Amino acid sequence: MNSENFFILAIILFMIGLAGVSSRRNLFVIYLGIELMLSAVNLLLATISRATQQGSGSVIALLIFALIAAEAALFLAMLVQLYRSKRTLDSGRFTHLAQEEKYRDAA
Amino acid sequence: MLENSLLFILGFFLIAGALVTIAAKEVAYNIAGFLISMIALAGLFGLLDNSFLFLAQIMISVGAVAVLATIVIMTLNLRFENQAYEPNRVRIIIGVLLLEIPIGLVIYKALAASGLVITPAAEGYGTLKSLGKTLFEEWLVPFELVSILLLAAMIAAIAIARREKYYDKEEYFDHYKPHAIETNRTEPDSEELQ
Repeated sequence: MNSENFFILAIILFMIGLAGVSSRRNLFVIYLGIELMLSAVNLLLATISRATQQGSGSVIALLIFALIAAEAALFLAMLVQLYRSKRTLDSGRFTHLAQEEKYRDAA
Repeated sequence: MLENSLLFILGFFLIAGALVTIAAKEVAYNIAGFLISMIALAGLFGLLDNSFLFLAQIMISVGAVAVLATIVIMTLNLRFENQAYEPNRVRIIIGVLLLEIPIGLVIYKALAASGLVITPAAEGYGTLKSLGKTLFEEWLVPFELVSILLLAAMIAAIAIARREKYYDKEEYFDHYKPHAIETNRTEPDSEELQ
């Protein structure tokens, strides 16, 4: 059991989460990708905490758990609201803050 | 030896679950992959002698987030035509993963240069007692700030999710004309039920 194995796992998990956020258009998959990235950070913190034999890394991971819970509550409420407003979860449909008025319906 | 094989098995489930999470087409399969990935991650926390993080991972990521996400998806009653049309998603994901390999290598080199090795755990490492001592002695202010964050998130979630009267009006849909509305209109919705 080596710390480099855990580093590799955390990096791969982060890469997969980033790929999910940046390449999918389903809002729910984007949310799950963010969760995967936060979990990768947690794994990295736990590994460093274990290797340095100090509890501070675990405490930061615990604070990130609270962040995960807050993000879940907010993102899922936002998901319900967005689905209610346009009856879709396609992130390409929610562009009315990014584009001008005349391009809005053509997207 | 046992630890290495456990690490291999848990790592396989972690990565496979994560890949299913982002690549599957149906949302239920996404959540199932996420669940497998999070349980494997809890096992990895246990392998790192961190029993409290193991418990927290099971309780929060598996017990709260995944279950809440399942309930939300079931409540939304997602239909096939209401989801994004992504026929090339696997190819795009593979391309993005290939693009990310250099970044991952850089991060790996930086982490491996720290020279951290896992030695046998000290007495009382990772237990609830030592973690609580660290939390309430050195990390008290961030802990209190996180409680304020959770309060704000709770209030915001209630405020976001309850604004229903405006969006449920028909004029809102006439103004925006999303593509999936036409298929919804033909179904027996609120008018016929009344």
